[in-house]
Amino acid sequence: MRLNAALIAIPSLLSLALPLFGSSYQIYLVELILINVVAGIGLNLLTGNCGQISLCHASLIAIGAYGTALLTTRLGLTYALALPGGVVLTTLLGASLSYPARRLSGLYLALVTLGFLEVVSIAIEEFPNLTGGVRGLKLSPPEILGRPLKANGLYYFVLGVTALAICAGWNIQRSRYGRAFNAVRQSVIVAQALAISPGRTKLLAFAMAAAFAGLAGGLFTAVVGFIDPTEFDISASLHQITFIVVGGLGSVLGSVVGAVVLTLLPEALRGAKEYSDVAYGAILLAALLLAPKGLVGLAASLLARVGRKAPLP
Amino acid sequence: MSLLALDNISVSFGGVAAVRGVTLRVDEGEIRGLIGPNGAGKTSLINSITGIVRPGGGVISFAGHEITTLAPDVIATRGVGRTFQHVELFRDATVLDNVLTGLYRHHVYGIAAAIAGWGRARRVEDEARREALALLEAFDLAPLALVPVHDLPFGIQKRIDLARALAVQPKLLLLDEPISGMSESEADAAVGMLRDLAEQRHITLLIVEHNMRVMMRLAARITVMHQGEILAEGPPAAIRADPAVVEAYLGEDGGHA
Amino acid sequence: MTWRVGLQLALSGLSVGSIYAIIALALAIPFKASRVLNFAQGELVTLGAYIGLVLTSYGLPYAAMVPATLIIAAAFGLVLERLFIRPIIGAPEFTLVIATFAIGLIIRALIRIHWQDNNFFLPAPYAGPALPIGPLRVNPSYLVIIGTTAVLVCLLVLFFQRTKLGKAMRAAAVNQTGARLMGIRIGTVFGSAWALAAALGALAGLLLAPVVGINPELGQLVVKALVAAVIGGFGSLGGAVFGGLLLGVLETYAGAFFGAALKEIIPFALLIAFLLVRPQGLWGTALVRV
Repeated sequence: MRLNAALIAIPSLLSLALPLFGSSYQIYLVELILINVVAGIGLNLLTGNCGQISLCHASLIAIGAYGTALLTTRLGLTYALALPGGVVLTTLLGASLSYPARRLSGLYLALVTLGFLEVVSIAIEEFPNLTGGVRGLKLSPPEILGRPLKANGLYYFVLGVTALAICAGWNIQRSRYGRAFNAVRQSVIVAQALAISPGRTKLLAFAMAAAFAGLAGGLFTAVVGFIDPTEFDISASLHQITFIVVGGLGSVLGSVVGAVVLTLLPEALRGAKEYSDVAYGAILLAALLLAPKGLVGLAASLLARVGRKAPLP
Repeated sequence: MSLLALDNISVSFGGVAAVRGVTLRVDEGEIRGLIGPNGAGKTSLINSITGIVRPGGGVISFAGHEITTLAPDVIATRGVGRTFQHVELFRDATVLDNVLTGLYRHHVYGIAAAIAGWGRARRVEDEARREALALLEAFDLAPLALVPVHDLPFGIQKRIDLARALAVQPKLLLLDEPISGMSESEADAAVGMLRDLAEQRHITLLIVEHNMRVMMRLAARITVMHQGEILAEGPPAAIRADPAVVEAYLGEDGGHA
Repeated sequence: MTWRVGLQLALSGLSVGSIYAIIALALAIPFKASRVLNFAQGELVTLGAYIGLVLTSYGLPYAAMVPATLIIAAAFGLVLERLFIRPIIGAPEFTLVIATFAIGLIIRALIRIHWQDNNFFLPAPYAGPALPIGPLRVNPSYLVIIGTTAVLVCLLVLFFQRTKLGKAMRAAAVNQTGARLMGIRIGTVFGSAWALAAALGALAGLLLAPVVGINPELGQLVVKALVAAVIGGFGSLGGAVFGGLLLGVLETYAGAFFGAALKEIIPFALLIAFLLVRPQGLWGTALVRV
């Protein structure tokens, strides 16, 4: 229990105090981490808990990002309205993916989601009048309640939203829906014998994953101020998958740990995108082959070996 | 009126008939045994009742309503529960979580409440937890509530499977070899437990089981399947003396029969 | 449209389709053997082209460079299978899918680190100006691509029908346990399938290079081959070839008549439609519970 409290308290205090001692670049970096945490929680509910492969998480983030951006620039909505608007749009489109998932699983679902990813990226590239196409889309700083969010304000906004998202992820996972996700992952037949509808459960899982992705995308737009299709390609989807596999499948803490470690990794490498791709790929392979329960699972078994019971959230 | 009624049910896989024209009635409150040599079609019959396999022909009714083409989860919601021959528990989850999963349909709150995690969600979760613990208590599993299932021996897993099936609040429970793999003393305890289910919880049981000794003590009537058809039906003593039944088992599971 | 334009388009569609067909074959062969769909296959195409580039820069003549490239690629496929695929055979599909994706990501990034985003030119003896054949003007590369694919398909048919290894691979695809009982070494079958797939990928890379040049994104067209494999039906080799050719022709006509956007969208519309309506493809057997 004390361990849990420390796990929550220390990072919370550090992130709250960051603007007091951090450079603006460090703040920006933590914002990116937080955005990845939000997206990762969504993907982890879908893949880690419900067992559905998705190669298009990056597209859902893109839909959230472009949706939020276009709602502000085209319809003139304030960010405080555009962000939820983007989330709703993403949720609806993401939920539609559960239709193929009712019939297809594994490899075939991977292919459908890959097709979805390609269609979204083609759509972004082929409608440059709306989306800016390959040249991207530039955005003015977000406004909330008619006042522009300044650097620290935006940081605390992202931090607050992420904290809420973590709580939401935690609550869903421990709810009847979280148990239904886990049941469907482990055996559709057993789930059905327990009166759990796999179709409805998958619908909910895809909608949830999309909602978190859309939220992450909307935050991304505000933080980065510029979006283009290369941010949301297949390797972005793989990065998201790497977060949850390396952090720990099916665990909210895993999503957090994965996003923190792997968002910082490219910084540690200081090199070009290529080096971080090699590192991502190698870490992903190593995790799949050697530590299928991720860092959180490793930590738990280490703690158990030390002789303490590790009640991991 | 019978609780479960099968009329002329046929099931086939790729042209091979597993069940041929089976007609069966199970009355409310009854404990019915279903036996037969390996490959007789017992599991296919169970799977068609629970909707996992759609019968090629025939009608299945439960509590007066046709369920032949309903989805398995809908059939489960109507009150048909089952356990699995090879115990399919959620291995990484705790005993308590396994049973809580079974309460999905009967302790309901919306998604918004689940996300918020308080109010109705909290209340219903507390209720569900109490009920799950009560079930575990009834099966002498309470001390193991927070233990992950994969660490537990097979006999205990069988009990957890049963407790989880009961969490769905079935009116009819289909048990696929509930005794197999148990020691003699475990089997005796299980017999008492199953009889309590029928008598105290008023659950109708349809039991597939090879162990004739157990069947004699449990079932009031036994149905014998052979090569996809019903070979005989009657009280255990009569079944045991039936020459056709003895012949069907010869060279098969003679030792058990 | 005149019939001449129609024929011209059909020819270029068939040549694009031939490339898809070769890569689709390279996807289908290991999938049949080991139920692993290699999402890194595109990178094996790219890698093959770069191997050819390196060998050429060492002064190897084209006629020697091609077989040498195929052999090196096959060896690479063998190593890949032994190191990364064999340990996870039988793992959940998620692991298999993501592992091959990770391998592809690494190969692509390594290529990028070494050669950057430059577009290289690989000279081929047959490349040259369009030849007048009857009323058509035909790019000789197209003819070579289509011809090579035709010969390749014949050779593969012979391989699977006549040779001991080919027969063993077919037997293992149908029933692994049975094949094992017949004394077929499953490890050999898996290894051969991956070696063959890598060599086919390299071949596609070499055929593509004179047409589009060599760059790290060359392998991106693997998604088209995936679509072809889905249309044909996974694990059906004939289906893979047919799916590839069909997709190539459809795409080319769509591009000519309705513009680039539709050309881009068509493969994925087909992919999603097939997966929803007929996941077993035109010829494959259903592997999906419906």
